[in-house]
Amino acid sequence: MNRDQWLAERTFHHSNFWDIKWLVQEKERQGLTISLCLPALNEAATIGKEIVILKSELKDRYPLIDEIAVIDSGSTDETREIAASFGADVYLAEEQLTECGDRKGKGENLWKALHLLKGDLIVYVDSDINNIHPRFVYGLVGPLIRDPDIHYVKAFYDRPLAFSTGYRPTGGGRVTEILVRPLFSLFYPDLTAIIQPLSGEYAGRRSILEQIPFPVGYGVETAMLIDIYEKMGLSAFAQTDLDTRVHRNQETIALGRMAFGILRTFFNRLTRQQRLQLQEILPTIMRQHQVDDGKFKLIDYNIEEFERPPIIEIDSYMQKFHPSDVEVGS
Amino acid sequence: MGESVPAVPEWPGVAPPGRRDEWFENIAGLPAALQPLREEILANLVLLGQIPAPTGEESDRVRFLLDRFVECGLPEAGEDEAGNAVGLLPGETGQRTIVVVSHLDTIVPRTVDHNVTVQQDLITGPGVSDNSLGAAVVSMLPVCLQKLGIRLDSNVKLLGTVQSLERGNHAGLKFHMDHTTLPAQYAICVEGVPLGRLNFFSIGTIRGDITCDVRPEVSRSFGSENAVVVLNQIINRMLKIEVPTRPFTRISIGKIRAGLSYDVEPDHAELGFEVNSHDDAMIERVRQELEDIVSEMAARHAVDARLDCFFQRKAGGIPFSHPLVKQALMVMEQLDIEPDQGHSPSELSEFIARGIPALTLGITTGEKHRKKPDHVMIEPILRGVAQLIGVLLAIDKGNCDEP
Repeated sequence: MNRDQWLAERTFHHSNFWDIKWLVQEKERQGLTISLCLPALNEAATIGKEIVILKSELKDRYPLIDEIAVIDSGSTDETREIAASFGADVYLAEEQLTECGDRKGKGENLWKALHLLKGDLIVYVDSDINNIHPRFVYGLVGPLIRDPDIHYVKAFYDRPLAFSTGYRPTGGGRVTEILVRPLFSLFYPDLTAIIQPLSGEYAGRRSILEQIPFPVGYGVETAMLIDIYEKMGLSAFAQTDLDTRVHRNQETIALGRMAFGILRTFFNRLTRQQRLQLQEILPTIMRQHQVDDGKFKLIDYNIEEFERPPIIEIDSYMQKFHPSDVEVGS
Repeated sequence: MGESVPAVPEWPGVAPPGRRDEWFENIAGLPAALQPLREEILANLVLLGQIPAPTGEESDRVRFLLDRFVECGLPEAGEDEAGNAVGLLPGETGQRTIVVVSHLDTIVPRTVDHNVTVQQDLITGPGVSDNSLGAAVVSMLPVCLQKLGIRLDSNVKLLGTVQSLERGNHAGLKFHMDHTTLPAQYAICVEGVPLGRLNFFSIGTIRGDITCDVRPEVSRSFGSENAVVVLNQIINRMLKIEVPTRPFTRISIGKIRAGLSYDVEPDHAELGFEVNSHDDAMIERVRQELEDIVSEMAARHAVDARLDCFFQRKAGGIPFSHPLVKQALMVMEQLDIEPDQGHSPSELSEFIARGIPALTLGITTGEKHRKKPDHVMIEPILRGVAQLIGVLLAIDKGNCDEP
């Protein structure tokens, strides 16, 4: 499947999957279970609404998802209490898979979710969405339920309802257009077909997610795309337009640190695949300026971009999900 | 840790064998039995609250309500000619028809951010108390009855009305009541706040605008002044109108708008007022006086002054001794709800004017604001819904019929 063909055949709009009743029937016919993971860190302002709406519409009213779990990185606000009060399962990431230690970051939560959640399909939705709507979930699981050849679905946000000329540019945010898309164009041209590679919402089959490493920080979205592409090719992907997403806007300086983490993730993969040779190990320090009392200061940020191994390499995971594959006495 | 929702006790039902009127006692168990539906009620509140619906622009909320009615299997659901959302839950015998109504419009302009926030104990957002919560409860009522296993003998007609507020003047409800083919015997108006609200009469009200436009310079006769000054004269005369304390009568000047800049004499000024009275004749007397004042001031100051009374509600209601009121009080007592009786500015008057016994009930505690988002408390909501179901049951069993 080439890029143009993929773009035409594997780009959906959430309205393609509006018939939730059919999705439920088909999910049950296929014997699938679906888990929703909400990674969180201090999201008291939005987590309650997300859980109320997604639980009500997709668990209580239509049993599309089988469980909703908040994997929390140690919020200091009421995120965990609010989430639990509206019926979500709440896990503190540092208390899970303790034999693997504790790392901080969204990717850590997503990785541990694979161990904690039981679904065959895992949907990841960020917890800071103001305009949460059931489409954020059914738009992503829809392609997986409908087409067994699709293994991973990525969200993008657009609204091609009215425009004055025959075509117009579209795409992702600042980091996507300035960093990720140029890198994809250089090294993974097929992946340029993905409109918003850094969007925080995606769904995948456990069977592929358990086989890939998870950077714990900024690079987790990029890594997923590259690693799944490496194993399965472009045809394993689909993308769904979820219309608009309203969330906090990040300052450019914060995006700089994000770009640093993503670059490290990229270089890790390029060297691992022997497409690039580095003479020395890359530093983990990102430096940014700050003006303090009229004086310029350099601030060091340590962005290690530690990576978790594929979770099938973790014994407790294998015992829980693939007990028949665990060697006796191992 | 993986916390989950605790198991819910099964509601024993409305008619335990051999104890005909013990259903009242079981009302106290309703909030717990409704617990599994809490998130659905809250979700409807959030989703509705995030749909802007200033008066005259309620169609998206109408669509939402109708979708809900269809999803829960109501055999009849659709828009009437006025654009109201109408759903019918047929009764076993259809011996009575009970209207449960909530207005869908809000005073919040479309341009205001309608984001709704859910905290652990409260929900905040523009218009959530007036009246997104009322509409959410109406949208959920069939599901609540279904999940509780309640089948009423009476038809329940669910109405989400349009054009209720301000200049809307209950136009949607009026149209429906004047053209319905299924007349109602009882009605319950559902408002978001406050829990305990028990309105069974409405105070007579008119609302209107007085506008004052200065004529072009060439036509001004001696004595013409700027519009603000003329309006001020009108206000002075309004304040001199004598109103009795019994029957209670009040004239309120609610808003004034005039002027562009410090150095420009305004050629237009307007005020909005409301007159309330327990006696419709008194309201009419005040209205006549206002007309006289406005006409006189227009002539005296050579301006075009106009009185436009766009909203009128008749005084009236059912007596406190009416079985509907008594039964509602008994239901509230079972649910530990403190009743707060008084008159209602809601849709109640339209039913009263048509001789239909009606009540207005509130669903939860909270606050409504004009300048910042409303909030409603989550915890009391299920008691508020239980109260509504309790009153429906009382009507359905014939307990509210007058001897």
